[in-house]
Amino acid sequence: MGHIHILAPLDGTVLPLEDVPDEVFAQKMVGDGLAIDPGGQVALAPLSGHLVRLFRSGHAFGIGAPGGVELLVHLGLDTVELEGTGFERLAVEGQMVQAGTPIVRFDRAIIAAAGKSLLTPVVSSGSGTIVQRASGVVRAGRDTLFTLKL
Amino acid sequence: MDTTVERTVTLGSTSGLHARPAALFVQQARTYQSQITLRKGERAADGKSILSVLALGAQKGDQVTLQINGSDAATALDTLAHLLEGGQA
Repeated sequence: MGHIHILAPLDGTVLPLEDVPDEVFAQKMVGDGLAIDPGGQVALAPLSGHLVRLFRSGHAFGIGAPGGVELLVHLGLDTVELEGTGFERLAVEGQMVQAGTPIVRFDRAIIAAAGKSLLTPVVSSGSGTIVQRASGVVRAGRDTLFTLKL
Repeated sequence: MDTTVERTVTLGSTSGLHARPAALFVQQARTYQSQITLRKGERAADGKSILSVLALGAQKGDQVTLQINGSDAATALDTLAHLLEGGQA
């Protein structure tokens, strides 16, 4: 049994998933985790692993790691509808990534102008239980967002 | 008694199998005893794992094959196929 520290993928303020105005995340249908109200412009890999899915539109990505660990980062709500506007992919789907590898650059002003919320759920959709959660302000790639116990 | 059933459907969801429809599909899939596999071309996904389903990269209009094996396979097939075609997943 081990513990995995999931780093904050974004700079910003932490919110509970229940506060996200999208029932798919608020009701933890995707899994348990936290959300971040971002202040920066780059999303980093929250853990080392395999970048299993990076949407062409850049709005979401998923990383798999040994032991059935799966992390999903969904930049904003309903941002799939933007079809890529405001997002720039910095990594390639299928590649291996380290915790802290830049994955997507995003433009908050463009996304907000399109009427989309940038609240970002960071969710564990695979193995493990969350045993420790951050609150308040977090720094991308530096602070632990939550810890998974396998 | 275990049965294996299979059906190929065309994805109805406007933006393909992205996070919301994948989550709804997996949530439903997890209610069944049966083993659920979603195939697109040569790739196969475990229907009870969101990341696995998302990794298929299925878009609107894509043909995917649902393969279900277990005691509640028939019920599972109807409901899940409906979800995929109807655009709710």
